[in-house]
This record gives sequence, structure tokens and C-alpha cells, in this order.
Amino acid sequence: MTSRTRLPAVFLAPPLLILAVLAFVPTAYAIYISFRNRELSRPDGSFVGLANYIDLFSDRRFVNAIGVSLTWELVTVTLTLLVAIVLGILMFEFASARQRAVLTLIFLVPVILPRVSAAFVWKFAFHPLYGIVTYPYKAITGQPLDLLSNPATALMTVALVDVWQWGLFFGVIVLKLLETLPPQPFEAARLDHARPWEVYLYVALPMLKAPLISLTFIKMIESLRAFDLIYVMTRGGPGIVTETLDMYAFSQGFIESGRISYASSMAVLMMVATTVIFTVIWKRVKP
Amino acid sequence: MSLSRFLGKSVLYLAAFSAVFPMVWTAINAFKNRVDIVTPTPLFIFTPTLDNFAYVLGRDSVAAGLVNSVIAAGGSVLIGALLGLPAAYAIARYPNRWSADIQFFVLSLRFLPPVAVAIPLMVIWLDLGFYDTRLSLIVTYTLLTLATVIWLGVPAFARVPKEVEEAARVDGYGPYAVFFLIALPIASRSLIGAVAFAFVLVWNEFLIALMLTTSDAKTLPIVASELTQLGRDVPWGILNASVVLLSIPPLLLIGILSGLLNNAFRRKSN
Repeated sequence: MTSRTRLPAVFLAPPLLILAVLAFVPTAYAIYISFRNRELSRPDGSFVGLANYIDLFSDRRFVNAIGVSLTWELVTVTLTLLVAIVLGILMFEFASARQRAVLTLIFLVPVILPRVSAAFVWKFAFHPLYGIVTYPYKAITGQPLDLLSNPATALMTVALVDVWQWGLFFGVIVLKLLETLPPQPFEAARLDHARPWEVYLYVALPMLKAPLISLTFIKMIESLRAFDLIYVMTRGGPGIVTETLDMYAFSQGFIESGRISYASSMAVLMMVATTVIFTVIWKRVKP
Repeated sequence: MSLSRFLGKSVLYLAAFSAVFPMVWTAINAFKNRVDIVTPTPLFIFTPTLDNFAYVLGRDSVAAGLVNSVIAAGGSVLIGALLGLPAAYAIARYPNRWSADIQFFVLSLRFLPPVAVAIPLMVIWLDLGFYDTRLSLIVTYTLLTLATVIWLGVPAFARVPKEVEEAARVDGYGPYAVFFLIALPIASRSLIGAVAFAFVLVWNEFLIALMLTTSDAKTLPIVASELTQLGRDVPWGILNASVVLLSIPPLLLIGILSGLLNNAFRRKSN
């Protein structure tokens, strides 16, 4: 732009200042209270150094939560992308322009719902006595099916709801990505008598490698926000099999004992881990 | 060939059915009396009732939650749009040496686990005496809306043809006039989508509201989730009705949001 103007400074300074204050003050404060022993019932507390952090590593519930969170990330990210790629390709292959438009709208519904709504809708659908999903099982075997109270299936059942919300939405994005590809490579592959699935596996998907990696990255970040689903559907139970890190930090800091400092030390570790991991990935993905 | 076509279409229809049916079923249940919900076999034919909605809308806690949600989401989206749109324009049109860093900073705010922000903020608002107020919610949500509006606004402004802005400049428009009279109207469709997205994000937000409020400033998702945790004689009809109520505003915006998605990809392919 030719003329010198102060517009960038005027437009950028206030919002960036606000963002910086809103992001850095809580971060700094979390670090500060994680070195103390503050609790909800007592406003003060004293400096305890690294005691909270040392306690964390002998806390079996914390170690369990790390495992649950990692499993959650792995399962939801993988399944979401798998569902998205399959649906995207099926729409690209079989749906007419009008059908695509309708499906796009329909597949956006789950992800737009408040997670509290999605969680309740499915919790009720999985209800062992009155649920519509569990009804066929109950009708055939005569036994109620209680997936959310069974330690073996609880986490996967909640993960299903997350994949339902994001997999269908990402399917639409995969379709839009396929639509941006030039038609020539497809035709060349067809002339070589490649089967349709070979065209997608060896031609289309490799061409979409970069955006698919970005999608994976976005889903990894969004999967960190599992709290609402788990809170409404299982509250971390049965036992602690669905207790993710944010669920455990919440229950330590809020419901059970009000150990704010202890919860903060967990929050700080999560913050450091996610920021480091995601920054490294982002810098690698983005050339 | 026709078999694979049949199978492919079946999978698509099944997925479409799964996307819509759970919410439809919830809406149906919202019009049932309790005896029609608590049945061994799901009922599709029953005498509908408006009692559940009447009860939910008549409850003080739901009314208060609705007001709090509207104020918290509305206020934070307004601030986010007023400050975020100019910032996005400045990043898109006046690139400088920090532009990439600024964009990365705004994105990296999304890396922060919500619980890691909510715990210290709870203590801060307690200490300042603003815990459980709408003000503290609006300020906290501004972090979300501002970052989202900037993030989605930059590409929207970048898609405005530069020639149009330069022509306006030749006609004697100053830099601010170009922003308000040229760039803003031309990009408005995508920008409305960005603002709608920010609204849905905070309207649906749960964890932060759960930790920053206890009674006065509770938002609708919190009220609804409390209803779902009720004891033994669960009022299922009322629950379904409150979930339907909570889901209506985001669903009303679905057209605008899919427009945002279409815009983002249509221009890219050209």
C-alpha cells in the first residue's frame, strides 16, 4: 500500500493488547498458584515449590488420566479422519450436485449442536431401558444393554459421539477438497484401467496430503475439548475409566477437594505439553 | 458397478439418517408425557403435549439461563466483531514483519486447554470479586470470539479484489473510508459467517461457564446439564424439551455457516 497510514497500529493494537492480557495473565497466574498450596476453602496459602508437581507423578489417578487422554486422542482422531475420507469419497463418487448440497447441510447438524445437547441426546439413546439404540438388543436378547456403565465400552461409546459430531462434518470438507482437484489425473488413471478405489488411494488422497494433515491437526486440537461430552455422559466413570486430564483437573480443583493449586499444576503441565507439541507440528506442517 | 453404487448410496443415506435422527427423536420425545417415554418399546404414535415446553419456559432457572446466555454470547461476540474485524483487515491488507507471528499467536490461543484457562481465571475473578457475574463471562469469552473473528476474518478480507480498493483510493478515499465503505461491505457475507461461528462457539461453551458461575450468571448449557443430572424420577420429557431449546439458536445459523464453508472453498478452486 502506497500512502503511509497509522491504520495498522490503530486497528491492531487494542485487540492484540486485549488478547495478550486475556491469554498471559491466566497463564502466569496458573504457574504462580501451582507453586502454592491454595485451596478453595482458604483464600491464602503458602509457597510450596515443586511439591504439587512431584505429587502428581506418584498420583495413580493422574497417570490413569494421561492414558485415558492419549487413548481418546488416538481413537477420536483416527476414526474421525477415516469416517470423513470414506464419506467424502462416496459423496464425490455417487452424489449429484444437488444431493451434495443437501448432504452438506445435513452433515453439519451434529457439529453445530451444543456438545451438551449431543451428549444428552446420545446418553438417552444409549439408555439401557428406554434408549432407542439399545432397544433392538433388548428386544432380541431380553437383556438390557448398558454401554456407558460398562468399563470395557464406556470410553468407546463416548468417543462414538465425538466421531459422529466431527467425522460427518470433516466428510463435507474432504468432498470440497476433492472438488478442487483437477480432473486430468483422474482421467489418466481411468485410462490405465485403475479401479475406482485405486484412483482414490494412489492418486486423489496423495494429492490432498497437505490439507488432510491440516485436518488431522485441527482434530487433534479439538479432541482436547472432550470435557463436555464426558461430563454429561459419564462424569469420568464408571470408576475412572473415562477420566481424561481435564476431567480430573476439574474434579480436583472444583468438586472433590477444591485443591486449586494441585489442579493448576496439572493445567500447567497440559498447557506446556500441548503448546510444545502443537507448535512443533504446526511449524513442520506449514512450510 | 451398480452394486457398488447401491452400497455407496446406502452408506450415505445411513450417515445422513444418523446425523438427523437423534435430534428428531429428541424433539419427538419433548412432546411426550413421561408415561409415553418410559415404555419398554419406543413409541412413535402418542398424544402430543406442550406441558414439557411450558414447564421449561416457565422455570425461573431456565429463563435466567437464557438471559445470561444471550448477554454473555451477545456481548462477547459484539466486542469480538468490533475489535476483531479491523484487526483482521489490517493483517490481510497491511502485511508487516510481524504478521505471521501475530497470526500464529492468535491460532496458538486455540492450543490452550480450556481447563488450563478456566482454573486460574476462576481464582482471578474470585479475588477481584467478579466471580459468577455476566461481566466476567463476557470478558473471558472475548478471548474466544476475538481470536475466532480475527482467524476467519483474515482470509475473508484477503479475498476482496485489491483492484477495487485501489480504484477507491484513486477516487480520493482515505484508508479508513476504504475499510468501512469498500472492504467491509464486499467481504460482508464471509464476515457474517465468521461472526456467526464465533456466536455458536460461545453459545455452546460449557467448561468455562461451569467453572466461572455458580448461580447468578449460569448459562443455558449449564442449566440444561443440571437438569440431566437429576435424581431417580427423571423428568425425561422436560429434559428433552430443554435440550431442544438449547439447540435451536445454533441450528438456525446452519445456513449462514454452510455458506461460509462454501465461500472458503469456492474461491480457492479458481
